[in-house]
Amino acid sequence: MRKLWLWVILLMSFAPTQAQTQPITLTLAAYAVPREAYAKIIPLFQADWLRQTGQEVIFEESYLASGAQSRAVVGGFAADVVALSHEQHVTNIVNAGLITADWQDNPYNGMVSASVAVLVVRPGNPREIFDWADIAQPGIEVITPDPATSGGAQWNVMGAYGAAYRGQVEGYEAGEAGALQFITDVFINVSVMDADGRESFLTFERGIGDVAITYENEYFAGLAAGGEYEIIYPSSTILIENPVAVVDVYVDQNGTREVAEAFVAFLYTPEAQAAFAESGFRPPVIQIDPDIDVTPEVEPTPEATAEGETQFPVIEDLFTIEDFGGWEVVVPSIFGDDGIYTRMIAEVKGQ
Amino acid sequence: MMQTRTLTTLNTSRTPQMIFWGVRWSALIYLSVLIALPLIVISVEGLRGGIWSFWDSITRPAALSAIFISVWTAALMTVINMIMGTLTAYVLVQYRFPGKRWLDSLIDLPFAIPTLVTGVMLILLYGPQTPIGGWIEDQFGMRIVFSSPGIVLALLFLGYPFVIRAVQPVLASLDIHQQEAAYTLGASSWLTFRRIVFPAILPAMITGGLLSFARALGEFGSIVIVSGNIPMRSQTAAVYIYGQVESGNLAAASSVSLVLMAIALLTTLLVDYLARRRTAHA
Amino acid sequence: MRKFVLIGLVLSYAGVLLLAPMLALVINLLEYGLDTIWAAITTPEALLALRLSLILALCSVMINTVMGVLIAWVLVRHQFWGKRFFNAVVDLPFVVSPVIVGYVLIVLFGRQGWLSGFPVQLAFSTAGMLLVTVFVSLPFVIREVMPVLAAITPEQEEAAFTLGASHTLTFRRILLPILWPSILYGIVLTLARSLGEFGAAAVAGGGVQGVTETATIYVYRALQDRNDVGAYSIAVILGLMAVGILILMNWLRPQEGKKHVD
Repeated sequence: MRKLWLWVILLMSFAPTQAQTQPITLTLAAYAVPREAYAKIIPLFQADWLRQTGQEVIFEESYLASGAQSRAVVGGFAADVVALSHEQHVTNIVNAGLITADWQDNPYNGMVSASVAVLVVRPGNPREIFDWADIAQPGIEVITPDPATSGGAQWNVMGAYGAAYRGQVEGYEAGEAGALQFITDVFINVSVMDADGRESFLTFERGIGDVAITYENEYFAGLAAGGEYEIIYPSSTILIENPVAVVDVYVDQNGTREVAEAFVAFLYTPEAQAAFAESGFRPPVIQIDPDIDVTPEVEPTPEATAEGETQFPVIEDLFTIEDFGGWEVVVPSIFGDDGIYTRMIAEVKGQ
Repeated sequence: MMQTRTLTTLNTSRTPQMIFWGVRWSALIYLSVLIALPLIVISVEGLRGGIWSFWDSITRPAALSAIFISVWTAALMTVINMIMGTLTAYVLVQYRFPGKRWLDSLIDLPFAIPTLVTGVMLILLYGPQTPIGGWIEDQFGMRIVFSSPGIVLALLFLGYPFVIRAVQPVLASLDIHQQEAAYTLGASSWLTFRRIVFPAILPAMITGGLLSFARALGEFGSIVIVSGNIPMRSQTAAVYIYGQVESGNLAAASSVSLVLMAIALLTTLLVDYLARRRTAHA
Repeated sequence: MRKFVLIGLVLSYAGVLLLAPMLALVINLLEYGLDTIWAAITTPEALLALRLSLILALCSVMINTVMGVLIAWVLVRHQFWGKRFFNAVVDLPFVVSPVIVGYVLIVLFGRQGWLSGFPVQLAFSTAGMLLVTVFVSLPFVIREVMPVLAAITPEQEEAAFTLGASHTLTFRRILLPILWPSILYGIVLTLARSLGEFGAAAVAGGGVQGVTETATIYVYRALQDRNDVGAYSIAVILGLMAVGILILMNWLRPQEGKKHVD
């Protein structure tokens, strides 16, 4: 017995020296939704890095709501790489002085995956919902997360708001007044606002609501998990883009810059993008051309493809947050303490 | 051996003083650091923008209604549990029946079970896809989970032991003979209860009720799962605070926390006062 | 007659309120079959989460027991300015929203926090999680010990003193036996509260899988990942621990009624 212990101790003390190089630990702080995608990508990257450098990479992964993750990193959570749902959350880290390099300096503007805001309904679409206008009808129960806590919810609100603003929602005038009227009518119908996007969709899965405003990838993830519902693509909706960045101050502190940058670069490789596509994410859009092209670069996977359809249909009128001035304008003017949304929700639910 | 003995006897004259001060200061410093530091942070953050911005933060409609919802759901729970808790305590003390021991131990369950698990359990029981939740929604058109009844239900679970554990010992110590005397003297049992038992246990009922009230105000783990989180409708203050923290609005979060704490502190002071009065009377 | 109505009423209320939700959880879990459940419990992440929860709870029990008895002693026996204030604020951890507790830790010890020069890494570490757990479970031992301590007359202690017993000896021989049941009950409550802590630990630790993820955080995340088996099985384990704690409580609960003999 005593001998066995000696052996164990002996082996343990030898183990590190036997390896050629010390393993390196990389901390990834991501938002909750792409967890399945990263579960596939990380082993690929580990193998790749081992092949190239002979070094083992150990991952420490944290998945939280995007805003919480951003705050944690600002507060001292020394993550090497952040993958968030919302550009503003990276901007907060930049403003805290932790990201010093231009993280958007690549053809994709620092965005690693994309999606669109969509509507998801019950099987057979019993409430006959075909576009934005239908979810503002009286008596339709709508589920969407809370924009106060969820970056994803802000995308949803901007999808609805933007479509109406652009005059693409039947029965509502183009422009600010019509858009405000539209989201007002929608939020009258909202019955549950969960803290984040995943939780909100789970509430819908648990049988609450006629329609969920959510992201395309969330629908595909649910489908892969055996969920039964149908996706409705609005004729006009917003392109959701998810940023990824290396946190400069922390990688220099941890001595992980090389591997962190390699990991971020790896996320754009076809293998990694295929994993994203399997989880329902569109590839990021090359942003050199202002005319946005969302044709998928990645072959759709068979299991996620519905009969005859391509995985990522083209949206008739696809717009981006830049059309509204970018998040640095939208966050205060729409979601700020005195923003359009904040005032609207207090009024709608206050009656 | 001999030496250590003399040492201790020698020390007794001097050490008490030192131990006395040491104990007092270590306890008070520990308490101050652990309790006062968070309190200071919350106050400073809440009042950083001046009293007006504090006032602004707490009078914003969503904040005001969140505080209001927290208070009314907690109050409703308190009232129900004061009645059911007292009844339970009464049954536990007065009657013998099979399963009594089981019931008695079951009552502490809410103290022991993580509140997050409570939330999960309630969803599994009353969720719209479960037989019970579906039936209630069909029959009464009422939704339990993801709505305010869910909040009250979670709080009822949470607060159940408080009143019982406060009332039980008082009831047990009541002079049974006093009751019996009143009873044999022709007073109905209801009258006995009202005239003799009730006044004796009322302070304990209130103490237990207020404790559960204070506990319910800050509840988060189960509510975050069970409530619909609709601002102005089913968003409690604790969840509102969470939302404000999440969206980086620490000042608003701290302001509402201060209000919650003030309400809770007043409640505990009231408990303290009632307890003091009770011991003074006894 | 009335007796049975009352008993029936209470039993059904307790049954609906307390038992039914537990049964719902267990039934939902058992539908997955024992093999799946076992596999879900024995994933490294789940085991690490359970281990962290246990370590945090045990450490918090140790700290809160020692300091709790000391504080109770000071609050009962000593007279000093501000005593009533201290007495009132002891309950504060019951009522502060746990999310705020976690956030305060970050404001204090996070990067560029008020006390960021503190030598120990507290924000986003298990040490910080221990600190918030100690905070939220602070009042239990104090509140259990105080009334019992108040009931012991100082004369009893002094009598022991004058008979030549040292302070420690007095404490060990006279006080501890009397206080022990209430200390134990406080310990059990502290243990339960620490095991169940969610909001504060999640914010303070950052929720890194396998590093700062406790069992309750694991349950929350597993639900989000649609890993229902994982969530329900760890929830049931936490529930079973709760039942274990419950049995201990029932054993230890100060039987004030029975003690009421003059």
